[in-house]
Amino acid sequence: MKGYGKWAGAFLALLCAAGLALAGCGGGGRESAEDSGADSVLGSGRETLRILSGSENEELEPILENFAEEQNVRIEMTYQGSLDIMRALGREEIPYDGVWPASSLWLSVGDTNFKVKHTESISITPVVFGIRQSLAEELGFVGREVSVNDLLEAIRGGNLRFCMTSATQSNSGASAYIGFLYALLGNPEVITSEDLEDPGLQEQMTELLSGVDRSSGSSDWLKDMFLEGGYDAMVNYECLIIQANEELEDRGEETLQVVYPYDGLSIADSPLGYVDNGDDGKEELFLKLQEYLLSDSVQNEIQRTGRRTGYAGISEENRDVFREDWGVQPDRVLSPIRMPASDVLFQCLNLYQTEFKKPSLNVYCLDYSGSMEGEGNEQLVEAMGQLLIQEEAAKNFLQASEHEVNILIPFNLSVLGVYQAEGPGEELEELYDVVRDQPVGGGTNMYEAAMEGLSMLSEYDLSQYTPAIILLTDGESLDSFDDFRDQYEAMGADVPVFSIMFGDAQPEQLEQLAELTNARVFDGRTNLTEAFRQVKGYN
Amino acid sequence: MKTKWIGLAVLLLVITGAGLYAAVGRPAEAVEITGFVGGEKIGLLEDEQVTERMEEKYGLKMDYARAGSLDMITADHSGRNYLFPSSQTALELYENLYGRPTKSEIVLNTPIVLYTRRAVAKALTDQGIVSEEDGVLYGDMEKLIQCLEDETTWEELGLPQLYGSFSVGTTDPNKSNSGNMFAGLLANILCGGVADESNIDEALPRLRSIFQKLGYMETSSSDLFDQFLKTGMGAKPLIAGYENQLLEFAVQNPSDWEQVKDDIVMIYPNPSVWSAHVFIALDEAGAKGIDALMDEEVQQLAWDRHGFRTGVYGTAMDTEKFGVDGVAREITRIAPMPDVNTMMKIMDALK
Repeated sequence: MKGYGKWAGAFLALLCAAGLALAGCGGGGRESAEDSGADSVLGSGRETLRILSGSENEELEPILENFAEEQNVRIEMTYQGSLDIMRALGREEIPYDGVWPASSLWLSVGDTNFKVKHTESISITPVVFGIRQSLAEELGFVGREVSVNDLLEAIRGGNLRFCMTSATQSNSGASAYIGFLYALLGNPEVITSEDLEDPGLQEQMTELLSGVDRSSGSSDWLKDMFLEGGYDAMVNYECLIIQANEELEDRGEETLQVVYPYDGLSIADSPLGYVDNGDDGKEELFLKLQEYLLSDSVQNEIQRTGRRTGYAGISEENRDVFREDWGVQPDRVLSPIRMPASDVLFQCLNLYQTEFKKPSLNVYCLDYSGSMEGEGNEQLVEAMGQLLIQEEAAKNFLQASEHEVNILIPFNLSVLGVYQAEGPGEELEELYDVVRDQPVGGGTNMYEAAMEGLSMLSEYDLSQYTPAIILLTDGESLDSFDDFRDQYEAMGADVPVFSIMFGDAQPEQLEQLAELTNARVFDGRTNLTEAFRQVKGYN
Repeated sequence: MKTKWIGLAVLLLVITGAGLYAAVGRPAEAVEITGFVGGEKIGLLEDEQVTERMEEKYGLKMDYARAGSLDMITADHSGRNYLFPSSQTALELYENLYGRPTKSEIVLNTPIVLYTRRAVAKALTDQGIVSEEDGVLYGDMEKLIQCLEDETTWEELGLPQLYGSFSVGTTDPNKSNSGNMFAGLLANILCGGVADESNIDEALPRLRSIFQKLGYMETSSSDLFDQFLKTGMGAKPLIAGYENQLLEFAVQNPSDWEQVKDDIVMIYPNPSVWSAHVFIALDEAGAKGIDALMDEEVQQLAWDRHGFRTGVYGTAMDTEKFGVDGVAREITRIAPMPDVNTMMKIMDALK
């Protein structure tokens, strides 16, 4: 990278710091979030509670912030998919004081070391379909009970396309997918291993999932992406559909009709549990937070965010949130499907990843400029190993499927080569050898690489894949954003450019790409491996 | 110079003396014992009234680590003074493995019950699966098993608002005691009496099929109960749990109880089984725990505040105080749990 970029970065940091000092805001905000590796820091006290949470709880931050300020404590929120949270619980060291996945299923399956206690459900919300009002009417889904098969028929007929989170990363995606499985298997009492061997299943499920427009690793971001994208429908939590509708209505746009598939419904019960690392002070603080969240007034506030709380159903005064003209049914008896036993559940998830989901088409544009020398490059090689070496990838349900395509474009000031691998076999691991052996040196221009990526993508029939460009850079590039935009717009395809910020990368340049392509910037500065894992979870 | 040294020596003497006085003069520190406890008794052991009484009268502090009733038997016991599982099966397993413990005694009891909602209880009553006697609901377990085996839908039972087939939510019999005892209870019914090694093999395929259909099972009785209360009738229409869970909830969370009391219903399986909370002392220090827990006042608190039945089996208890309808004064319709070898076979089959 160019020396100039580094100085600009430092100057910017200085400006930010000065801004913060001037604003006098008590330490909150992005700066400290980056230090701790958390996604969000609330309050500024010395005592800290670190909570690993599903992204849907981001909407509750103002409520958490009130507590942090009242008690003069700091709450550090780290957002991950529920399945990531499950895996985190299985590790020897759990660097959090609380866990808050979307559903208790992942908590009890993950807590193999019995470290979690004081678990209490904070609110509940079902996983539902949100479909553009006029389309829902056209499909005849308004004012009647809808089955998963009704939805499948619309999808098969090409009349309904939708967005959902990845079933192997996020609870809402997993829940919807299990609902689909039941429907395709003819609604058995419970899904068994034998059912999954049904030869017709793969074809039907593949067909169904080909209706997925866009995927995501987390439910909250799926909602954000949806709001940017002009899509028709999404599978998400009832509470997030309500929030999306509030925004759509504010903008004067068409809202979504909530559809509860009666034979494929799941409930997220949002359990908040304490991770016992043997610190009594933290335990006390945790219990205080939990008590606060479960107090009558806060439960009411939470209900106003579209979550179902308390024992007595939705109160009269909150009926204006659970709007029946949006199809929301505040008094519906939420009767969910049975989750299969955990071994069968994992079999289902593996099948999703390796057989059923639309194959990914990933273009990795990786920075090999001089500033990556040494530790940066080592971290990059390690992180890519997690994705490309299939034994490692399988640990996080990130293994490649039969038809997945991976393209590698190492770059510095120019493109250093283009390598391609299809499927999960040897080709893919050879890609890893390239990642490892590629020498480092020279300047930085990520746009060149990204444009090369676009050219590669245009050789494929993108309707058959979930395409994405995954870009890692650690420095500022010569500004050729306009060239990239021209090519992107000429191509006319919905391809997200996810980028991973590293070293002295320019956040503005990456945000610009994310905004243009309806994608997202991941921060790889505290943990690059984790960032790569997350970004792959989006595709 | 010399006087300085003498002064210092005097000062030292005084300090030592004061220290000695302090050490001897103060009443003896409470003895702390530690062991493994099933999660459902943590509310009791952390109850301040209980800990105060134990400390004052018995000079005893009970520290604990949470563990499953059967897991704790096979766990490493070094440094532990006691085990406090929730079933006699656990004691039998202990005796099979290590011989007789220093001392053991059943200190608390609670029967396995079913929890449901008013509308479900009514439908089950209409179907003759549940019947009422003296204000107490009893479940006909043979009919209930029939519904499970026939995959009777909720709709057929008169509850079209519920999706799918009739089911009973339970915890995993291999991981949690309440699920384990519910499996024992069902095994008894399938064997037409008390399941034992001679008759269990025949019943195992049926039992396995019943549990298989339940799919994913929770691993903790308290989590299952929490979900039952919070996720509503649709998610957990009927679950198996301990009688004391609802009584304890009503006492400890009076305002929450006020909100749900009209809708929550307790059904006693006929026959049920006792969850017997056996205190197993691993050494003499641990044995003091039995004395403290059997203390009259502690036993009274265990019933009043946590809903554990105490005293001789079948003693009539004052049930009015909980404000919970349909609590049986006496628990008489009880079958013994299958013995430990039979339970091992059952658990193996349900793995």
